[in-house]
Amino acid sequence: MSHIRRDVMKKTLVNGARFDGRAMDEFRPIEIQRGAITTAEGSAIAKIGDTKVLAAIKFDVVKPFNDRPEEGVLTTNAELLPAASPSFEPGPPNEYSIELARVVDRAIRSTECIDTKSFFIEPEKALGLYIDLYVLNHDGNFTDAATLAATAALMDTKVPKVENNKIVRGSVDRMLNPSRLAVSTTMIKVGDYWLLDPSRDEEKVLESTITIATTDDKVCAVQKGKGALTKTEFLDLIDIAFKRGKDIRGILKG
Amino acid sequence: MSSEKTEVQLIIDGKRVDGRSPDDMRNIRVEAGVLGEADGSSYVEWGGNKITCGVYGPRECIPKHDSSPYHSIVKCRYMMSPFASSEEHSRSGPSRRSTELSKVIREVFENLIISEKFPNTQIDIYIDVLQAEGGTRTASVTAAAVALANAGIPMKDMVSAVAVGKAGGVMLLDLGKFEDNFGQSDMPIALSARDKKILLLQMDGMLTKEEIEKALDMAEAGCVELHQVQADALRRFYEGGEKESFRF
Amino acid sequence: MDKRIILPGERIAEGRLNAPNTFVEGGQTYAAVVGMVDEEGRYLALENRYRPGIGDSVVGIVTDVRHVGYEVDIGTPQSGFIPTRNIRINLQLGDFVLSRIKTVNEVGDVDLGEVRRLPAGKIIEFPSAKVPRLIGRKSSMLMLLRDYAGGDIMVGNNGYVWISDKSDIPLLLKVIKLIDKKAHKSGLTDEVAALLKAEKGELPAGRRSTEESYSGEEQPGEAEGEGPQQARQNEEPQENIYRDEETKEEGV
Repeated sequence: MSHIRRDVMKKTLVNGARFDGRAMDEFRPIEIQRGAITTAEGSAIAKIGDTKVLAAIKFDVVKPFNDRPEEGVLTTNAELLPAASPSFEPGPPNEYSIELARVVDRAIRSTECIDTKSFFIEPEKALGLYIDLYVLNHDGNFTDAATLAATAALMDTKVPKVENNKIVRGSVDRMLNPSRLAVSTTMIKVGDYWLLDPSRDEEKVLESTITIATTDDKVCAVQKGKGALTKTEFLDLIDIAFKRGKDIRGILKG
Repeated sequence: MSSEKTEVQLIIDGKRVDGRSPDDMRNIRVEAGVLGEADGSSYVEWGGNKITCGVYGPRECIPKHDSSPYHSIVKCRYMMSPFASSEEHSRSGPSRRSTELSKVIREVFENLIISEKFPNTQIDIYIDVLQAEGGTRTASVTAAAVALANAGIPMKDMVSAVAVGKAGGVMLLDLGKFEDNFGQSDMPIALSARDKKILLLQMDGMLTKEEIEKALDMAEAGCVELHQVQADALRRFYEGGEKESFRF
Repeated sequence: MDKRIILPGERIAEGRLNAPNTFVEGGQTYAAVVGMVDEEGRYLALENRYRPGIGDSVVGIVTDVRHVGYEVDIGTPQSGFIPTRNIRINLQLGDFVLSRIKTVNEVGDVDLGEVRRLPAGKIIEFPSAKVPRLIGRKSSMLMLLRDYAGGDIMVGNNGYVWISDKSDIPLLLKVIKLIDKKAHKSGLTDEVAALLKAEKGELPAGRRSTEESYSGEEQPGEAEGEGPQQARQNEEPQENIYRDEETKEEGV
């Protein structure tokens, strides 16, 4: 994989041009492949350019949380696979994989798109829904690819039947049918410009970064990373996130 | 999820459960220089939150391969004590939550510390939440800014932080734990003192753009107030005298 | 006396001002560390981290002996280094030295020269931002301390303070603590003099180094910039370091 040198990249971006000729607010081609993993109750691979993230959904019978005794449990985990990038290393979750899992989790949880109350089985027992995010190849912007994969996987998810407090694997009780679709838009700032869907080379020179997740009419999660931004910039970025979110939801709905 | 949340009454006659108005903050006390061994330190009591912060450095960067010949590496460790919540005893050590918070807090100070002056070194920010009652990350940022100033580490600006959220259908400044648990949205914000740059920004729950705009305005007013509290703490410390009476 | 405290990021001057502990942004000068403004409107740091500067006189401790030179702890993240070519005496591990910074490169490595070994004593750490106050105007504070404590004191710009074993060390520690605590108050020299007199009584005539040097009101910061130079007057590097009975024999 050839890479563009940092200093060259920076010089290009501060002049308001992108190396691959994209407009500042242009995404790379998006592709979604549903049902990639048949051992899971739902799955999807989302590709944004060369970035590939797999999301898989599994159910288990779990004990509900004490403060929500009659609800199922939603858990999100992310792995930055060492094969996906020379900068990823094997080992326990680091702050980047933890942040990724928590941001995607917040976006999905905030929309209340999953009726976790319907996961209740009997006292002390409910369905637990696990979202596992695997970053397979990292050419930048794995956050948006992961949110996309997670939302697509939830749309693909079949809730299994439960008999004698055990999941009947391979059975289908109903489709999960998330009621809202969370989509995230990550933007980075280099020089005076904010640009969308950064590639890995572009991410190396970023000065500020922010991820804004939206539904049709609401912001459902925000995570600022490195750097600083003004209030005006932030409000403008919300508009861009809504616009981009609408496009991507169009792709999700097929 | 939401139906149960709204059953809890969070606003009665325009007042919040603890009697505050929507744009009131909880009582906040900040002290500088409370840990004698650290290069700089602070203590923040914010509602029921009790947080200490100690800063060390710039000192030798360990491990060496983490170091940079261009600048000092800022490291931050936010930790919640196992006895910090009134609920059950939690596992000690870093959690996924504390790992994320350590990262976003570090990213606040990477913008401010003039780190180019100290190549091949590291600056450690240790934040310990002894008692928690909602809003610990914003209290931590507010505390760490005072500790860094107390350590004499050069910075481009001071910073303070406060959360704004929506609970009971109303936008509220400085959510308490109860409001956070049963509210609809939480948005912690850190703003630099001089140019009001957003240095920390997270959000969960559902908000419209208009609500977010309102939240930013409320946070700005809160941060102006907080900056004064931070300045007073440092003044008291450097004027001496009051330190002896300090307890935590 | 109510002096305004200055926090990092506060503007302290219109236009560019080349002052320590400040930075310039958009043509304006801002404070980088917590400080205050004195009666003459000057910004003084109350706290800073010592950054080695060429020409600084520093007190240090030898922490490694190698054939290319000596490594010296001068309180900076990277140790100072005395290359063999910069020194004609032999040092041993743990020796206390007074030296001058010759070079600082862009990654913070410090080379030392004009090395003088200090006799048996103690080294204490003092905040580097307050070093000018410990030295005093025209070294007035140092002279006062030397006279009353009966032994020598060396103050490095790095905040390491060497005090001779011949001094009244408990008294010095007490006074140095007071100077640390009240560094930004005016009338500090008088307060210190009063404390010393209370502890030791009037000095017999002839033990004073100068009659008038440490009298009179002194404003914080007046020693700023001139302190270290003043300190150096008494510390001209010597070819043969002076020694007393307690000093280790030089290596051969």
